[in-house]
Amino acid sequence: MRLFGIETEYGITRDDFGEVDSVVESMELVRAHLTASFERRWDYAGEDPHEDARGFRVSGLAQDKEEDEFAKVDAHRPFSFHEMKSDLVLPNGARFYNDHTHPEYSTPECRSLKDLLAHDRAGERIVQRAADRRNKRLGGAHVQLYKNNTDFHGHSYGCHDNYLVPRSIPFAKLVAGLLPFLVSRQVIAGAGKVGIEAQESGCVPGAFQLSQRADFMETELSVDTMHNRPIVNTRDEPHADRNKYRRLHLIIGDANMCEYATALKAGTTQLVLDLIERGAAPTLELEQPVAAVKQVSRDADLKATVRQTNGRTLSGLEIQEQYYAAAQRTLAGSHAESDWILREWGDTLRLLTQDRMPLIGKLDWVTKLWLLETFVREEQIGWDDPWLASLDLEYHNMNTERGLFLGLEAEGKAWRMTTDADVEQALSAGPQDTRGGLRGLCVRRFPDQIKSMQWERIQFAGGLVSKTLEMGDLFDPEDVKNCAAIFETALSPAEAVATWKQRKDLTS
Amino acid sequence: MEATKGFDIMNDISMPERRERPVDPMPKSPGPSEEGGGPKRPETGSPDKDNLLKRMRKVDPKQAERYRQRTGQ
Repeated sequence: MRLFGIETEYGITRDDFGEVDSVVESMELVRAHLTASFERRWDYAGEDPHEDARGFRVSGLAQDKEEDEFAKVDAHRPFSFHEMKSDLVLPNGARFYNDHTHPEYSTPECRSLKDLLAHDRAGERIVQRAADRRNKRLGGAHVQLYKNNTDFHGHSYGCHDNYLVPRSIPFAKLVAGLLPFLVSRQVIAGAGKVGIEAQESGCVPGAFQLSQRADFMETELSVDTMHNRPIVNTRDEPHADRNKYRRLHLIIGDANMCEYATALKAGTTQLVLDLIERGAAPTLELEQPVAAVKQVSRDADLKATVRQTNGRTLSGLEIQEQYYAAAQRTLAGSHAESDWILREWGDTLRLLTQDRMPLIGKLDWVTKLWLLETFVREEQIGWDDPWLASLDLEYHNMNTERGLFLGLEAEGKAWRMTTDADVEQALSAGPQDTRGGLRGLCVRRFPDQIKSMQWERIQFAGGLVSKTLEMGDLFDPEDVKNCAAIFETALSPAEAVATWKQRKDLTS
Repeated sequence: MEATKGFDIMNDISMPERRERPVDPMPKSPGPSEEGGGPKRPETGSPDKDNLLKRMRKVDPKQAERYRQRTGQ
């Protein structure tokens, strides 16, 4: 599998204050993870959200004005920019920081679904443990975290899935192959939502829809992520050798609670990228993809159809079936994990047309809808009752005593695809076959000698000789393991960097 | 076991020095659903409603109304 990873922004509340400063709360939450003072480590030099994959650089983003306003307010806080970000690199290679007002956990780069799921769950545990510590200091369970994507008042925050793809695939080809797939992916990966909203607007109660994010999709392509949100984000920030790679940065996805849904979301996207690379993706072109995202989301019966440019119509489920059929034809037998994804994808699409009960605990929107239908029936309330939005929110609560999904899972009613041992391992180390594992190893072995870090580079401090581990093209699993073996045994990072450089020079 | 600056190794993510034999935390398996770390199927097809309903009834009906977040990415 190609490298992939998930970034999750969590919603955060504190109930013992009338007016909560969300910047401070998010910062304090992240810092509750630490037992020593915060040290600036993250290197922002590799981040430039203005580069556009369509081949140009934008002068500004839609959110710049709002960000400037935030910056003015932030200037009056008694914290520096770096203190507010509190950007941590963890011993498992993950990044945990305050993305302005949301605690964000980015998994280390993974190469298998099993690793991705374990690291996504490890992220859940890390943020909740930070909340537990914060609450202990506050003297009560005042801080709650939500792995969701909306506040039901027109404010959305993201769960982004990222994939390393060869730059040799023309971006236009990626877009053409991905658009119909992403419009319909919510059929299997939507987290479900009560009500309909739009950016910066209130919520109209009553309707249940498949996706949390669909209401916030405003355009097909854009470099923006906070306003004018696109189905395909064009940010060209590869975090790798830009001559060879791009990072496909998808912001349309919902944050999933069900491991199975996360696996299908990322797994099927991997297969579709394989199809595009091989020139075997279905040739579908939707007339109005942005409207289609909403149409598909707002029909839990999965009957709504969307129009193609050729005049024919298809439901979201039928679009998925076309992609599945192409993947089955082209990719069956190519890889064990691909075969697993194909089997589960096919089974899921079949069950969605028949009896959905077996999908409870596997797909979030099906699970949430089942819970809400049960509640409506038992309590004899209407679908416009505001209680349902509260239950929707609580489905995503990360507190094991309160969260509805976590309650379901604790009873063994949700599919666990990871074991507790998998998650424990993911808490302490990154995948051994990716640079994420290597990053974590460096944090564990040489914590005091790291000057700065980012996704593709680690700079070690001290001495006159440059001691930088470059990872912008360190993707071959064997290379990663060889490099890790050196860092495991070297007495210093300088020795490790020098030995690794010699090894590379010999083999190049 | 060696403490790593800034992280609580007792209660949180522990960071053993991995000088010893490298271990493979993710044994190779054909897919995430296979045996040896794969999923656990729910014991029944129909979740127990009683416990969940109890938990759901505890949810403050006004909670979502009060819930406010700033726009993220």
